[in-house]
Amino acid sequence: MPVTIDARGLACPQPVIMAKKAIEENEQITVLVDNDMAVENIRRLALKLACGFSVAEREAGVWEVALVRMGPTVEAVKDGSPGMQEDELSCTVPTGKETGPLVVILSDNHMGRGDDVLGDILIRSFIHTLLQLQPRPDKVICYNSGVKLAVKDSAVLDDLQVLAKEGVEILVCGTCVNYFELGDQVAAGHISNMYDIAETMAGAGRLLRP
Amino acid sequence: MEEQRYVVFLFPSVSYALKAEKILKAAGIAHKLIPVPRHISSDCGVCVRIAEDKERDVEGELRGRVEWDKAVLL
Repeated sequence: MPVTIDARGLACPQPVIMAKKAIEENEQITVLVDNDMAVENIRRLALKLACGFSVAEREAGVWEVALVRMGPTVEAVKDGSPGMQEDELSCTVPTGKETGPLVVILSDNHMGRGDDVLGDILIRSFIHTLLQLQPRPDKVICYNSGVKLAVKDSAVLDDLQVLAKEGVEILVCGTCVNYFELGDQVAAGHISNMYDIAETMAGAGRLLRP
Repeated sequence: MEEQRYVVFLFPSVSYALKAEKILKAAGIAHKLIPVPRHISSDCGVCVRIAEDKERDVEGELRGRVEWDKAVLL
């Protein structure tokens, strides 16, 4: 029988501490929590202890988190580190959004330096992968030759359009579009200026630059 | 509306995938170079995705011009 721990109403880091203690003593546990932070902390605990992890929202605002021991790893970890490690005790949800949005910088229509044919394949793969990335980027900034990704006939135009449709703001550098004489061909996002670009970068929680 | 189903063509290397892409472009067959989906294993990290109903056309274009490992329905 799985042991059920009710950690609802408890403040971080109490739920994860209770979960750790319980999984060390039981093969299988279920923890009831009422906040994302606790779910995330227990998810990381499971990862660290190599336990099976699953989560289901049982009712609005209440999650049922299940942990299953997969092998002797738990004991090994327990012996190796008797106390809770600091990184397990984060009381902020590590979504990267606490400090601001996740911003992807496309400053080139290639990914990496060395070979442009390869760089072209890589940037196309990267942008396609953004569609599945969690958490989803909040904004994308295209500048310098990166603006060529957002114009007609770009191989990633469809991906950028899907991102835009799903609420990702795409800023395309107007100066760059003008320089490359692509003014009438921008087909994803909107033309922006250096004020907005600099502000967006400065206000980002994280910048992702392929 | 029914969701579009895709087939991906897997190649022995990136250069084969690129060559296939050029052929399909010249033939006017809609396609997209994408990373090989995680659940399919392949040494080459990219593959060519096409609409499911274009599989025969693509095979016809590629046959004898570029080798591929397999075509997988997504």
